[in-house]
Amino acid sequence: MIIAVILVVAAVLSLLLMVWAAKGRSSAISHVEDLPRHIRPVDIDAFRVLVDPAEAQFLWSRLPHAEFRKIQRQRLRAAVQYISCAAQNAAVLVRIGEVARRSSEPSVAEAGEQLVNAAIRLRIFSFQAILKLTLEMIRPGASVSALNLAENYERMTGLVFLLNRLQRPATGITVAAT
Amino acid sequence: MTLRAFIWQYLLIVPHLLLLIVLVALLRRKVYRQFPVFFAFILGETVQSLVMIWLIESPSTKHAEYAIAYSAAFAVSTALRFGVVHEIFAHIFQNYSALDRFGTPLFRWLTVALLCGAFALAAWTGAYSDQLMSVVHLFDRTASILQCGLLVGLFLFSSQLGLSWRSHVFGIALGVGIIASASLAAAAIRSQTGVTYSVALNYLVMLVYHCSVLIWIFYLFAPERSYAPAALPRHDMETWNLELERLLKQ
Repeated sequence: MIIAVILVVAAVLSLLLMVWAAKGRSSAISHVEDLPRHIRPVDIDAFRVLVDPAEAQFLWSRLPHAEFRKIQRQRLRAAVQYISCAAQNAAVLVRIGEVARRSSEPSVAEAGEQLVNAAIRLRIFSFQAILKLTLEMIRPGASVSALNLAENYERMTGLVFLLNRLQRPATGITVAAT
Repeated sequence: MTLRAFIWQYLLIVPHLLLLIVLVALLRRKVYRQFPVFFAFILGETVQSLVMIWLIESPSTKHAEYAIAYSAAFAVSTALRFGVVHEIFAHIFQNYSALDRFGTPLFRWLTVALLCGAFALAAWTGAYSDQLMSVVHLFDRTASILQCGLLVGLFLFSSQLGLSWRSHVFGIALGVGIIASASLAAAAIRSQTGVTYSVALNYLVMLVYHCSVLIWIFYLFAPERSYAPAALPRHDMETWNLELERLLKQ
């Protein structure tokens, strides 16, 4: 009986989802002329600063770790908002590009095609990037400490190599890269 | 003629007559070239309905003959509906070069996952004493889970990416999706209750089928939007794509 109820609920939910898609579609069509007005400018330079590993490393080296984690979480949250906004713009541009690529003017159709594909790629990347940043928010600084660890390791292997060269100038030594 | 008999006759005959309008629309708008399997499905449904109505109305038809004819028609119809779902997937993904590499894997893995779920439920066969009908309803439930799941997956995927569908493609998907949802609900109830609510469920499935035919007619005749932008808005999609790609590689 439980399985029957689950299947009926699943069927009703899928029906509702399709009706919702149909409703959303009709409202989107009626306002297609207004779509360009829905594009919000997003400052890409500010976004670059927020996701720059060098910036994160600088903060890591200057701030107490608890303070760093708090600030890094805020920075990542802001970056997610920037990406969401860019993804929203991409969704609007997909719709505009869709209409443009049906144009009888070949240049407009070509530009529309390129716009649609670029915007879809952005939607895919933004989904992955938001997932990545959200995971990073759980333990901010993990990548920075890993970067520090890698740098420390590199420095250490360099020192081992130098020491070996100084001790036995005729031979070398191999240190595993991982 | 009682009201109930009238409704039964109406639901038995009218949706199939309306399928002729769908056929005309498919031919007039040349949609049959893009969706040959959907065209075959509508044609098959029309022919099947003629045979089934003749069998129902003929007094010499035996129950076993009707059951075999129903099962065969059902198998063909289900196979064609599955083909239509595949056709919708292929059409949506071919339409976007950025999605080319996603279409086949998404369809394949979604089908595998849904088949696993449907097979897991197959052990739970239900309350039918007639073996042929038991197999038919099990097949119906499995096919409905697959079709419903695939279409819901496609709707969610395209809404996540902000894809917009052309009217007739959306209409075909919506109609098939609604039929699959109703079939799934009916198959789930049937497998638990046997023939107890069979008549009510038959009415429900026929009513939903009628609605789907009307949806196909509406979307096949609906005009495409005519807004043509004079110039495309300025955008920095490529820069954003490079930045996000770099971020994902970090």
